[in-house]
Amino acid sequence: MTSATVTAPIAAPSAWRPGRILLYVVLTVGALLMITPFLWMVLTAFKSDLEIAKFSWLPGELRWHNFVEAMRTAPFLRYFRNSLFIAVGETAFTLAVCTTAGYALAKLPIKGSKALLSYFILLLLVPFQIILVPLFLIVKSIPLFGGNNILGQGGIGWLNSWWGLIIPLGAAPLFTFLARQFYVSVPNELAQAARVDGLGEFGIFWRIMTPLIKPALITICVFQIEAAWNGFLWPLMITTSDTMRPLQLGLAIFAQNPAEVQWPYLMAGTALATLPMIVMFVFAQKRFVEGMANVGIKG
Amino acid sequence: MSATLERTAPTVAPRRLTPAKDSRKLIRGQVRAGWLFLSPALLHSAIFIVIPVVAAVVLSFTDYSFGDSWAWVGFGNYVDLFKDQDFRAALVNTILYAVVVIPVSMALSLAVAIGLNQKIKGLGFFRTAFYIPTVTATVAVATIWLWIYNPGSGLANGFLSLFGFAPGRWLSDPNTALPSLMLVGIWQGLGTKIIIYLAALQGVSRDLLESASLDGASRWQKFANVTWPALGPVQFFVLVTSIVGTFQVFDLVYVMTKGGPGTETTVLVLDIYQNAFQALRLGFASAETVIMMLLIAIFIGLGRLLQKADVND
Repeated sequence: MTSATVTAPIAAPSAWRPGRILLYVVLTVGALLMITPFLWMVLTAFKSDLEIAKFSWLPGELRWHNFVEAMRTAPFLRYFRNSLFIAVGETAFTLAVCTTAGYALAKLPIKGSKALLSYFILLLLVPFQIILVPLFLIVKSIPLFGGNNILGQGGIGWLNSWWGLIIPLGAAPLFTFLARQFYVSVPNELAQAARVDGLGEFGIFWRIMTPLIKPALITICVFQIEAAWNGFLWPLMITTSDTMRPLQLGLAIFAQNPAEVQWPYLMAGTALATLPMIVMFVFAQKRFVEGMANVGIKG
Repeated sequence: MSATLERTAPTVAPRRLTPAKDSRKLIRGQVRAGWLFLSPALLHSAIFIVIPVVAAVVLSFTDYSFGDSWAWVGFGNYVDLFKDQDFRAALVNTILYAVVVIPVSMALSLAVAIGLNQKIKGLGFFRTAFYIPTVTATVAVATIWLWIYNPGSGLANGFLSLFGFAPGRWLSDPNTALPSLMLVGIWQGLGTKIIIYLAALQGVSRDLLESASLDGASRWQKFANVTWPALGPVQFFVLVTSIVGTFQVFDLVYVMTKGGPGTETTVLVLDIYQNAFQALRLGFASAETVIMMLLIAIFIGLGRLLQKADVND
């Protein structure tokens, strides 16, 4: 948040004073339109069934009990844990694969590194929805997993497994590209000096170069955690058991039947699903904004 | 930094080789390390992106369906697709959704970004407020709006009754179902675009703006002649990401309407999902993804033309 320093405002030409006020009014109304649905969610989470039967703003009392009941109605805590596990696993996998690849593209004398860079850029334009059907088939026929033989036949491969939830969507080309952009700006002299001192290539990457691109690592982490946490279509396709389901899928199943939904419980679960990301955004706002300014992701 | 260097300094003096030999060896080691570092990313992208893209095209010419037996059907799937009522509805709805959501959200987000660019107080607050819907999972957004649109006691009808309007049926009324979804799509997509526009606006040349002011240009003239042309490349970028994003709309529709009432809100990805995983017609669904790819390409091409026309004006 910006801390506005209190200074005497310089007398502005009175011509645009009313315009200024109008601007603030419009922006504030806009901001309220953005936030109100979330307020409505939080307020609903505390209401009783009677209170939601007709439209009202405030709950009569704060029923924290609703959160406990929601956990009892659906295993939201397990969903939460699953989402966390997927987000952490996918982020670790992405960091390992994308930093090494990005570093090699930026700093190591590989023949055809320009062509390889174009290859990754081209791939980051491929929307996941396009490859959804074949990806399912490939994941189903990973050899030697889930009862498959060496040819990937006869079992379910990575379907309904943590592998399937984490690996295929991790290590997106976008992050390889991002990592590369940051490594490029690190001066070569440091690596050269370390080579003269007899440090190996992996040591240079791990101990000299990577600590210098911490901002990039944080950006990648924040984006990957958000993507993993918010993913829905992929887990919907490959999980059948409740033990693996992430939060978003749990919410969607809970909301399956609008006529019978217990709204306070669903809103309590939704609050549980949204608040971690909002908190993360507020803390990592600067990174998020810089990253978004360079790569737009959502439509 | 010097601390790290000291820590990594070896205890033995480096071996003295002839410089030429030394550097050749070093380069070889670097190349080896390079390929080693790249191999996981290359392997991963080949298995999980390149092969699936090729497979999607190949599958679209077959009648494959999870079993062992399948046959080439040439363009049969494509012919069947255009006879298919659900696909036609999905196609029309997706295009409608894109055609409404993209321009409205681009115009709104540019307007907000221009407002936020006026050296205002509380920029952090406004930026956060507009961006929060974007960081929130679409499923969560969908459940919240499902409750807002609740015909009995939802916020939307409560809001209407404040102004004395009759309550709407929102998602269950064939006339308002798709527009209700569009509203949520616009609401959720503003944040990203605002931030990208804001970054671009801050990059508009101050000198040009100042010299325009000195020449007595009005605010509107400055915007039309300095700011707007400078935003060209960014506009195209936002347009492309919006096209790709709107064509992929799925989570919202799946949670809020399942494509109903009837096929009023069926969209492409939902239809693909249902064909592939409920009807198990994988070849047919693949043909649909190929059509979607082509559509996205066509839309991006149109956007390119628009941009070129704008530059030449």
